[in-house]
Amino acid sequence: MTTRLFRQFILRRLVSEPGRTLTTVAGIAVGIAVVIGIQLTNASSVRGFETALDTVSGKASIEITGTGGVDETQLPALGWLREFGAASPVIEGDMAIVTPAMSRASRPPRTEAVKVLGVDILRDRTVRDYAVSAWLGADQARDDARPTRGDEAVATLSSQSFLELLTSPQSLVITEKLARRRGYTLGSEIQLLAGDRVQTYIVRALLADVGPARVMDGNFILMDIAAAQLAFDRLGRIDRLDVQIAHAGGALDTSQAPTSAELAAAETAIGARLPRGLTATTPARRGRQVEKMLAAFHLNLSALSWVALVVGLFLVYNTATVSVLARREEVGMLRALGVTRRQVQGLFLAEAACLGAVGTALGIGLGRLLADGAVGVTGATVSRLYIAAAAAPPDLSWAHVALAFAIGVPLSVLAALVPAREASRVPPTAAIRGSDRLETRTRLRASALVLPAMVLAAASVLASLGPVDGRPLFAYASAFAIIIGVSLLVPAIIFGAARMLARPLASVLGVTGRLAHAHFTAAIPRLAISIAALSVALSMMVAIAIMVGSFRETVVYWVGQTLQADLFVGPGVRPTTGSGQSLSPEVLAAVRAHPQVAAVDTFRTLDLVYQGNLVVLGAGQFDVVRSHGGLLFKAPADGAAALARAIGTESVIVSEAFASKYGVAPGEAITLATMQGDHPFAVAAVYYDYAVDRGIVVMDRPVFVRYFGDLPPASAAVYLKDGADPDQVRDEMIAALDEGHRAFVFTNRALRTEVLRIFDSTFAITYALELIAIAVAMFGVAGTLLTLVIERRRELAMLRLVGALTRQVQRVVVTEAALIGATSMAIGLVMGLALSLLLVYVINVQSFGWTIQFRVPVPFLIQVSLAVVAATALAGFYPARRASRLAVEHEE
Amino acid sequence: MKSDAGIRDRGPGTRTPRLALGLAALAVALSTGINAQPAWKDATAGYRFAFPRDHASHPDYRIEWWYYTGNVASATGRRFGYQITFFRVGVDPAPVNPSRWAVRDVFMAHLAVSDPDGRRYRFDERLSRAGPGLSGAATDRYRVWNDDWTASLDEAGRHVLSAASANAAVSLVLDEGKAPAVNGLDGISQKGAQAGNASHYYSLTRMPTRGTIAIDGERFEVSGESWMDHEFGTSLLEPGQQGWDWLSLQLSDGHELMLYQLRRGDGSRDPRSSGTLVDARGRTRHLAAGDFVLTPAGQPMAMPSGARYPSGWRVQVPRDGLDLTVSTPLADQELRTLGAGIAYWEGMVQVTGTAAGAAIGGRGYLEMTGYKGSLGRVMNLTTKP
Repeated sequence: MTTRLFRQFILRRLVSEPGRTLTTVAGIAVGIAVVIGIQLTNASSVRGFETALDTVSGKASIEITGTGGVDETQLPALGWLREFGAASPVIEGDMAIVTPAMSRASRPPRTEAVKVLGVDILRDRTVRDYAVSAWLGADQARDDARPTRGDEAVATLSSQSFLELLTSPQSLVITEKLARRRGYTLGSEIQLLAGDRVQTYIVRALLADVGPARVMDGNFILMDIAAAQLAFDRLGRIDRLDVQIAHAGGALDTSQAPTSAELAAAETAIGARLPRGLTATTPARRGRQVEKMLAAFHLNLSALSWVALVVGLFLVYNTATVSVLARREEVGMLRALGVTRRQVQGLFLAEAACLGAVGTALGIGLGRLLADGAVGVTGATVSRLYIAAAAAPPDLSWAHVALAFAIGVPLSVLAALVPAREASRVPPTAAIRGSDRLETRTRLRASALVLPAMVLAAASVLASLGPVDGRPLFAYASAFAIIIGVSLLVPAIIFGAARMLARPLASVLGVTGRLAHAHFTAAIPRLAISIAALSVALSMMVAIAIMVGSFRETVVYWVGQTLQADLFVGPGVRPTTGSGQSLSPEVLAAVRAHPQVAAVDTFRTLDLVYQGNLVVLGAGQFDVVRSHGGLLFKAPADGAAALARAIGTESVIVSEAFASKYGVAPGEAITLATMQGDHPFAVAAVYYDYAVDRGIVVMDRPVFVRYFGDLPPASAAVYLKDGADPDQVRDEMIAALDEGHRAFVFTNRALRTEVLRIFDSTFAITYALELIAIAVAMFGVAGTLLTLVIERRRELAMLRLVGALTRQVQRVVVTEAALIGATSMAIGLVMGLALSLLLVYVINVQSFGWTIQFRVPVPFLIQVSLAVVAATALAGFYPARRASRLAVEHEE
Repeated sequence: MKSDAGIRDRGPGTRTPRLALGLAALAVALSTGINAQPAWKDATAGYRFAFPRDHASHPDYRIEWWYYTGNVASATGRRFGYQITFFRVGVDPAPVNPSRWAVRDVFMAHLAVSDPDGRRYRFDERLSRAGPGLSGAATDRYRVWNDDWTASLDEAGRHVLSAASANAAVSLVLDEGKAPAVNGLDGISQKGAQAGNASHYYSLTRMPTRGTIAIDGERFEVSGESWMDHEFGTSLLEPGQQGWDWLSLQLSDGHELMLYQLRRGDGSRDPRSSGTLVDARGRTRHLAAGDFVLTPAGQPMAMPSGARYPSGWRVQVPRDGLDLTVSTPLADQELRTLGAGIAYWEGMVQVTGTAAGAAIGGRGYLEMTGYKGSLGRVMNLTTKP
């Protein structure tokens, strides 16, 4: 009987009111889509790196690395590694494919990046799977009738090409995919940019789409290690040694991977025997380090995505409420016929579950699409700020589907619980007569303030707690407590607002205003939920606007103070930290040789593992920084003097993010893994930096060279003599470079613009998420008004009876909508301010360790407020039209 | 004459690396000299050997190898054979790349241990470049190494060999024994019709040997006699030469005999085949192609690579009244490299026969190459199974 009842009573209704059904389903779908989309996006940026790691590391299971690589003369002494398996030296880096448009551009254009792997091609075969599909110079006639065994085509070897690959620094192997995409063939010449050096290479062979060739969607190049060393200017060093761990027993059986226990044992055993300065690690551990590095960034996105879901759930509440209201009489009838309360409640909960399930299903698909777009946006941020790796395409797993349903359906049911209980309490007779009405409350009980006060108190306590494992979990809990506390406070706020607005509305809009106000006041319990939902969405936007605005102003100030040099020189391939792109001596010489140059400060960075985390190690020229630079010091008071004392000594200056993350202060010492093993360095000063959230440690270049080797610099800051024209000097410097070198020279102004451009694009995703939340909330307002209209159909009919025009009825509803918008915006502004304080002073400090100067972007907030009121009024139009129609129906 | 140029097709189920063409390229370089550049020095007549200087490397020449084979036995009389070879093949006499990894020479090494009583034969190979000292051959003194496999001269002038892999290992000390026997005429061993198609080639024909040998993890203290060949040159083979058979025999009367026979693609014998006979006091006599006859004997042996090798040889040197039969105690002594599908048979042999009518015995090593395909086919090696 219940199922038939459900079909007749619920499903038929859902079908007959497609507008309402679709709105709700869409609301849930968007909420779920945002959550799943962000989950997928976050996962794919890490997975992109891990996949690259797995495919490039090949079957190698243990990597031996040191800070800045491994001195290759140490290799003969590492011969004992063969007891564990085959060891293969690796040079790995990024190059850009040179296109004619690049040649004289003023800032680095978008280039196609390729991952380059340099290995000992005589020996690496036991470590990585390559499949050469064609060799240059192999008998082409035979190639057509290539013999096959099994499924695989057999490439015909050209030993001439192999020898060229082995001996010529201009030889390389590209993937079939890359060849197809860019129209290369065997023998093609490819111009590649490594650092600032342009080289022409010849394609000697093609790789089929297996093994490392799959990395970066086929943008992969294989070279002999000698050629790669030369190309990347890393003579004398290798980046790491990959050790393919043999199965226990010693025999190198590549068909069987070692177990994780064998791996762990080998990692420990190797680690214990390695000389100072070298460490053994697994690709998996490297992946985890990167995951940790991205955790704060990802957590922020996730937190935002949940806001969209919360807002979506308000829609379910709305729908369930409408559903109950519209059928009070029918429910009364059912009850009179003997349907139990429990059954009535079950019917409405089942309705919510249905809507939840359909919305979730759509949301998953939508989330996948959203992720496709978001991966592009966040992927760019990740690779610019953290690691250079193409994000993998989003991978929707069953776990995500399960998660979506686990969230979507129960929460939908939960949201419908209150209206469903309301339905079950419908007194049969009163409802049938139509005399039953929703309770209207015109007085505020003091007890209504107790619970919100308690929740808000809890929020302030949570805000004062420290981070958990580097993540501001309590702060996020505090943010949610603020949201809940304020939401609970909303009825009281509306009550107050209603009183205050009575007179102005009446005087401005006359009868319409009076009626709108009366409706508004009468429906406080119903409206409270919608207004709370919209407030929450708006408050998040306000908070983020304030936070980003403050951050931006801080960065502008910092850039203005710190970027003092007149010109900045970097290689043609944009160097991300640790990517090893460098400036060649020729370019530096050309820069130094310019007559207008007063001083040059070179800079070099390396990835450094500090306490298990990846931080950045930098080498600068302290004397130039002291005389020309504009570092902003946080501590000690006289940072410049501390910097002067640090010149040439075994001391470092650290960024604020580093200092707060690892709790170090000037005067203390930190231990860094140098090429000669662990070595203590004194912390001379802490300076402000907003470029790298994982923390930077900088030492004077001579000291760096002593402990990490004479690595070429990756960038240079150039100070010009007084009166020199930076633009002119820049053009002259570029003109002085020969065809074989590509460097980018920014003027100070251009770099500042570039920094802010990067900043803005980094936060683009944040705004996009917020817009979605607001859109969802708008649906909510429309839904609520619809509820109210249905509830008041008798009153509306009366209005028409006493002579109100259709237009007037509509205006009442639209005014009410604007009132909702204004109230929500007001609450949102206050709550947003509170949340922004939390973001700036707690969450940001705990996740990134930055000092941000608090600034409220007043003009932006005024703009947004007006836009929101206008938008809510707009959202009122549909219910308004329904209202006028309803009124007419009842008239007849 | 050493090295190999055999080539086999891979049988089904053979595990092969996918890029891995080092050895193939090497085989090409060895056999056809496609990458021979004028910068390499030719072996020309009049070369004067000096020792121990000439044990060390001669990097001006493109190809060089140090080849040790030996018959040894444990105290209980259990026989073993071993082979350890270090190859240096010049690839680019003057690399433009200043990187230490730039390849001037490719270094290759083969190790094999034969256990006829246990019916076992184990081998392994190494292939590498010099890099930052991973492999190499010194010029100032005799020391050649490939990873941890080494051959060198100790202070006492003894040859010290050390190599270990998963299933086979040798750790041996060799006295030089008789003075080095220079093969060929006027300091060169002619390999082809053209001038320069030759090598400088000497042998240490009977080296008292002791040390340990391990096979499948079992270690044996052994002693016995070894043979060392050291050969260097730039261009060794000519088109049409299919392969060769090489014998180093230590006879019971104190003589040693080295013979190599170059075979042509049409099955005929190349006139550059030659040999050396060393008497008990170490005096040498050159044997021209017409001075000896090598005839296959016994049933052909089919090997896993698909090649079929003669299972024995009849050796006749009429002028010295030698009529010998060479046979092997262990059929499967075929060395099959993973790298490029090169296979050759290299194994311990025993000798019976007569010298001027009197019964004579002996031991030695036999090498047979080019029994599977022709050298030209090396060019068309496959990279994948």
